[in-house]
Amino acid sequence: MLSYVLKRMGSSALVLLASTLLVFILVINSGDPLQELRESNADNVEFLIQQRIEFMNLDEPWYSRYWIWLSGVLGCLGGACDFGTNISGQDVGVLTQQAAGASLRLVFIATVFAIILGVLTGIVSAIRQYSTFDYVVSFIVFLFFSLPVFWAAVLAKDWMGIRFNNWMADPGVTWPTTITLAVIGAVVIPAIIGGPPKRRLITAAMTFVFVMIALPYLDWLNFARYPQLGPAAIAIIGVLFAVGLTALLAGMKNRRVLYSALIVVGLGLVSYYATFWLLIDPPGGWLLIAGLFLLAIALSVLVARLMGGHAKNLATTVSVLTAIIVSVLVLLDHFIRAWPGFLAIKPRPIATIGSVSPNFTGDFWEVSLDQLTQLVMPTMILMLVSVAAYTRYMRASMLEAIHQDYIRTARAKGVNERTVVFKHAFRNSMIPVTTIVAFDFAALLGGAIIIERVFGWRGLGNMFIEGLQNADPAPVMAYLLVAGTAAVLFNLIADLLYAVLDPRIRV
Amino acid sequence: MRLRKLSAAVAITASGALILSSCTPGGEDDNGNGGEDPGQAEGQQFSVEPDDTGKAEMEDDFETADDSISVSMGETEFVSYNGFTPETYNVYNSTIIDQVLGGFWYWGTDNVQYPNEEFGEWEVTGEDPMTIEYTISDDAEWSDGTPITNADFILDWATQNPELSDGDDSPMFNQVSHTYGENVPDGPEGEPDEKTFTIEFPQPDADAEIRVGSPMPAHVVAEQNDMDVEELVEAIRDEDTDALEPVAEFWNDGEWFSDPGSLPDEELIPSSGPYKLSSWEAGESVTLEANEDYWGTPPGVSELVFRFVDDGQHVQALENGDINVIRPQATVDTREQLDGLSEDQFVMHEGEAATWEHLDFNFADGSPFADSPELREAFAKCVPRQQIVDNLIEPIFPDAEVLDAREVLNFEDHYDDVVDESYEGQYDEVDIEGAQELIEEEDADGTEVRIGYQAPNPRRTDIVSEIQASCEDAGFEIIDEGSEDFFAPGGAQESGDFEVALFAWAGSGQVASGQNIYSTDRPQNYGEYSNDTVDELFSDLASSEDEDEQQDIIVDIETELWDDLHGIPLFVHPDLTGSDASIQNVRHTASQSQITWNAEQWQRAE
Repeated sequence: MLSYVLKRMGSSALVLLASTLLVFILVINSGDPLQELRESNADNVEFLIQQRIEFMNLDEPWYSRYWIWLSGVLGCLGGACDFGTNISGQDVGVLTQQAAGASLRLVFIATVFAIILGVLTGIVSAIRQYSTFDYVVSFIVFLFFSLPVFWAAVLAKDWMGIRFNNWMADPGVTWPTTITLAVIGAVVIPAIIGGPPKRRLITAAMTFVFVMIALPYLDWLNFARYPQLGPAAIAIIGVLFAVGLTALLAGMKNRRVLYSALIVVGLGLVSYYATFWLLIDPPGGWLLIAGLFLLAIALSVLVARLMGGHAKNLATTVSVLTAIIVSVLVLLDHFIRAWPGFLAIKPRPIATIGSVSPNFTGDFWEVSLDQLTQLVMPTMILMLVSVAAYTRYMRASMLEAIHQDYIRTARAKGVNERTVVFKHAFRNSMIPVTTIVAFDFAALLGGAIIIERVFGWRGLGNMFIEGLQNADPAPVMAYLLVAGTAAVLFNLIADLLYAVLDPRIRV
Repeated sequence: MRLRKLSAAVAITASGALILSSCTPGGEDDNGNGGEDPGQAEGQQFSVEPDDTGKAEMEDDFETADDSISVSMGETEFVSYNGFTPETYNVYNSTIIDQVLGGFWYWGTDNVQYPNEEFGEWEVTGEDPMTIEYTISDDAEWSDGTPITNADFILDWATQNPELSDGDDSPMFNQVSHTYGENVPDGPEGEPDEKTFTIEFPQPDADAEIRVGSPMPAHVVAEQNDMDVEELVEAIRDEDTDALEPVAEFWNDGEWFSDPGSLPDEELIPSSGPYKLSSWEAGESVTLEANEDYWGTPPGVSELVFRFVDDGQHVQALENGDINVIRPQATVDTREQLDGLSEDQFVMHEGEAATWEHLDFNFADGSPFADSPELREAFAKCVPRQQIVDNLIEPIFPDAEVLDAREVLNFEDHYDDVVDESYEGQYDEVDIEGAQELIEEEDADGTEVRIGYQAPNPRRTDIVSEIQASCEDAGFEIIDEGSEDFFAPGGAQESGDFEVALFAWAGSGQVASGQNIYSTDRPQNYGEYSNDTVDELFSDLASSEDEDEQQDIIVDIETELWDDLHGIPLFVHPDLTGSDASIQNVRHTASQSQITWNAEQWQRAE
């Protein structure tokens, strides 16, 4: 295993090295970095030209310039990184650090959400092939897929930004809106759940009534400005998920799985109270939260191992998923608690530009909310495009799996539909999708260039474009290193995931 | 992109660092010119109505509100507290630094010099040689408590003095301009720790009163080099280059030049203006906070944020309240967008900037226009100036008009007088027949006219098409020679491969800056124009210190340039800015100081 990883990383490093050489040569030949100075009529143009030659080593031949850059970067191995200087003599290492944080956060979150959403809709539309739901999803997905990002971004700014903020100032739901939403719900939910006509009718009616009651109630609570969750809601939602996940993945008859999931919900509630004051102002910020999250996962694994009996593995999956859901709910509760205070500081929560609000001060939750609200729109747009792709891939891959002989065999020997779908079909169909996700991360970094531009972020994309415009290799190479390393890393993760997904693959 | 051209070009904001070469080709949509008062916009609010083109005097009870206003000029990043080196000297940096470094004067909305009486005053005390006495306000002090004294102005002069040079004869201080040092060889006279100094111009200088600008803190420079201020001044006056070497090094490339996102230490960047630098988010914003120790009228808000945002995103950001004052590109689309915003909540400031578009003939050998005033006249007769303005500029700025002069722009005071006396309206209407006759007389039917300009620039392409449609009827063959390297080394402009050049000059507010453009063998005389009368008139103008006399000379220059047809002025660039209607005192200006010229007066209405 270790030797395999090392071998993979070695070969990736070589590929990266070769690509840096290629890109370096392309960039330095893409223009004349002294052009604007040659047009300048400043008194000390000679001095400026000399200075720029020094910054960019223009007096050296190309191989020597490349070597200077490469040896600087290789210095990272010895702890003394030097990414070179850009056209105006700024340290590219510092610039990259500033730029990479926001960009990677954007792309990472967008990828994670796109995977979850894409895989889920893909599975459902494959299982309900040629149903109305399938057609509608296909239509929407193709719509997203063909959206020009810059145009979608401008629309999003208007609807999700400006109009949403206007609405936030005095939130309210009118009866026509409520009825429309209820009707949409009554059409969509039964289409997803499926079943015979009678069941669909009942689902539709229930959904309709639920929305008609819930929306006006939330409106009455002024939920948009003063949202509440609280331990009771966490408990109810947690239990619903515990039961639902058990039903989906293990079947309700498997009591051990059900009990371990319910115990995890109970522990989640206990930890909600136990950590409440700690999390009001978490020391260490996200590190602490990540640590608590890992602790929750570990606890849930422990519970499942103790409780699971013969269904240990199944119980672990369900418990861990339940633990994730409950942790997210607890996190959400804290965000929700901070929301009214946050609105007081930033009355128009969704901004159309920037990766953070300038000079935003608040406690940990308010600052995080600020970052999140700045992230929402760019992430959504970046996500929509890849969700579209993932849904299609997942659907195709799932359909292929469902029509395999071993699925027919499984059905023939009486395995129930749930096990067929999740255990036999889903797992096998994930293999090609994993490959695509790995490639896609690096591709999304490229797509983020446009998003960053439209939303006024100074991320990696901006660095890349400016570098290219000035025939300035150092920033472009820094971008290449970050994107390349991310690509290599994600491919490695994909390789390792293959082994998890397909027991035949031994690495 | 747009402003970068302008920046290389111009942008003398309230600094004294005026360069004679401050005219370079302006970018496409730089700015425009105006109507009666360039600062008027529908829906704007004033706490005190201005009664001239300068800043209105705020009420006595004007106080700093605990509030934040954000403004964006475009996506160009802040560079440095020292905005007077060629690398840092640009419009964007200056808009920020202008709020931090005070000076004796500023440009009004029509590009006229106004005194900043809070900072101090000046008086012309001698005519021959011209001597000016400056008095710094007694209360004036840096935000760290050090009084602003002559020493600051002596250092300011020293950085612009080309006599202070290192081994290879280039100036020690990497300053954007050295004109002040050349014209005032002895520098400011006065004790370094006092507040009154005089400067003397051995040669007459038409722009004498704008030479002294906003100084940098001499005490910080001295301290950084382990000197006291007296030693620094002594070294400057003795031209002790050894002692000054570390000083120049600090000034050129010291702690004032930091990585993006990290401001230098607070004690290195004291403020002498209403705001001081407070924080810098790389690529996102620079925040100024009110300078509590400012001795004059307090600034309007406690926090002024300059955000670096691509101007394509400006209008939506304004609508969403992310930015309160924006300066997008002046295009028909932006105008429509701004127009579409609620009139009660947002104000569109439209007007003109000091950048003007023109057609210049090539007088180099081989050009058909070089020795033929008749052909030049024929060309001028067929250029549809009014139609160009109607079709291309009016949609952006409804009050746009054809420009009939070069040395005064149509929002400036004396424009009408100068035009009345110098131009008879002979090229107002297109006269195809007249042009045809002239061409036939010259036997020049089918003369190729290559119109060169910096591409891509859709507006200029359209201008050329309009000329094409009209002048081909007269008998010229118009060729669109727009290219990306028109102004580049080896490009068409340098090699002279054009008959007519289409570009813009950014005006600087100086009286005699046109000398570089129209006088024989001057650096910006791209068309190699040479006219003895014009040469003489310009050297008179440059050495004239009397305003009425200057106006008379300008009339003569315009008359001569129209008669001899150096070129054809077309229009002044339109300018668009938008602001939140609740913010008082936002006012358009045609000067290069940009919309932020009076940002210290901005405040939300109660």
